[in-house]
Amino acid sequence: MEEKINREKYKTLGYNVLTLFLFLAIWTLAYWLIKSPFFPSPLMVFNAFLELLIHGDIEDVKLGMHIQQSLWRIFGGFAAACILGIPLGLLMGLYGRVYDSTKVLIEPIRFIPPVAWIPLVIVLLVGYFRFVFIIWLGAFFPIFIGTLLSVRGVNPLHIEVPKSFGASRFYIIRNIVLPSVLPEVLTSMRVGLGIAWECIMAAEMIGGERVGIGIMILKYAQLIRMDAIIVGIIVIGIIGFGLNEIFIFVEKRIFRWKEVVSI
Amino acid sequence: MSGRKVKIEVRDLCKCFGDLEVLNHMNFDIYEGEFLCVVGPTGCGKTTFCNVVTRLLPLTQGAITMGGEEIDFKKHNVSFVFQEPSCIPWRTVWDDIKIGLQIKGVNKTEVRRRVNAIIELTGLTGFEHFYPSQISASMKQRVAIARAFVTEPDLLLMDEPFGQLDTRTRFSIENQLIEIWQKTKRTIIFVTHNLEEAVYLSERILVCTQKPTGIKEEVLVDLPHPRDITDPKFVEIRNRVTDLVKWWE
Repeated sequence: MEEKINREKYKTLGYNVLTLFLFLAIWTLAYWLIKSPFFPSPLMVFNAFLELLIHGDIEDVKLGMHIQQSLWRIFGGFAAACILGIPLGLLMGLYGRVYDSTKVLIEPIRFIPPVAWIPLVIVLLVGYFRFVFIIWLGAFFPIFIGTLLSVRGVNPLHIEVPKSFGASRFYIIRNIVLPSVLPEVLTSMRVGLGIAWECIMAAEMIGGERVGIGIMILKYAQLIRMDAIIVGIIVIGIIGFGLNEIFIFVEKRIFRWKEVVSI
Repeated sequence: MSGRKVKIEVRDLCKCFGDLEVLNHMNFDIYEGEFLCVVGPTGCGKTTFCNVVTRLLPLTQGAITMGGEEIDFKKHNVSFVFQEPSCIPWRTVWDDIKIGLQIKGVNKTEVRRRVNAIIELTGLTGFEHFYPSQISASMKQRVAIARAFVTEPDLLLMDEPFGQLDTRTRFSIENQLIEIWQKTKRTIIFVTHNLEEAVYLSERILVCTQKPTGIKEEVLVDLPHPRDITDPKFVEIRNRVTDLVKWWE
């Protein structure tokens, strides 16, 4: 059984590597066909990547530094979104009246795109907190709404089991509601992280700082250096993919009970 | 039932949902250690009856008393086996079975002793660390039964617990239930619409009317266990109950 699972894993990995090679081949072919200074080949992009990594950008800021700064901003905003979104979602899921009484404020804010706040944020906030606020806005609502809905979706039978033994409300929340909503909270965190990553790019491009992946892309956009712009885009994709994979790995580890293995 | 002590008294039990009257002035007694079956057509309010007895739903009128006191699952030791599969997905078989004991604050040594004993009795040995997604439907139902019995309840309510099992598995699990009941002598109210199951398991059958549900008649099942479904006496009782419920159609 384990051997079969391992074989499947290697097969999936093999197909992914093949997809990547196919993509690079089509890209190279397109480069040869288009022959435009605005359409770099994969090799040119790789060289630009090495240049950014070793020597840095036009202001001597190395790629690692850009990544580090962007991640640091993401971490701040995303952590704030989790710290506020999860408890608030739990509270409003458990006590529907709190949500019903405050939705006149919550729901309109939810529909304002984080980017629309940027001009206001530029005026009202400075430095790190500008980015944190925009990321928080983007990540907060998916996490908050996901948590709220997952609390409302708890299987009533799972609540009735301890209730029929005379369990207290606190016991039910701690032992039934929380473990039941955790997988969905983690999924909404993944969605929130994706949006946070989108927000940081937008915020960095407008935010007026020197360091960050978004700023790096903007610098090279002004110089029409497509190879360096593509490096920035690919780095964003790879980091996003990596963070998502970390979430999936954690999810599989924590929620082993979700594995469907029936005998 | 003469000579047996009355364990639970149900008097003038009524339950309404708005204008809809579901339970209509039900009156009956349940005896100490009795296996009582309640049969009724689908949708007549059997689950409502169970929920009212365990106080998962409030009564509209009447009283259900145990030893002269109103039943309260916080005070009395009442267990429930639900109609739907009720295993908690993130708890292993062991953790699921012990939930009632954990809630009632039983000490760890006693929890271990009781859980081990019931696991052996329900044939779940070797599956203690399995999750519900890893075991079969009949095992899940055995977990639910073990979870209900492990608290040594004064009253055990079973709401059509075998409705989703195939005939063969149902027979095997019914035999196991009888074995556990004979060893533990707990008082059981078993709700079902399967007449053969009711005759096979119980000492007494309460036949319910259509909604609003009342008690139409009581049928005594004076047969020793294990029962043979082809035994003429068994067939006679089953036919009698069938005659009583013909008006369901």
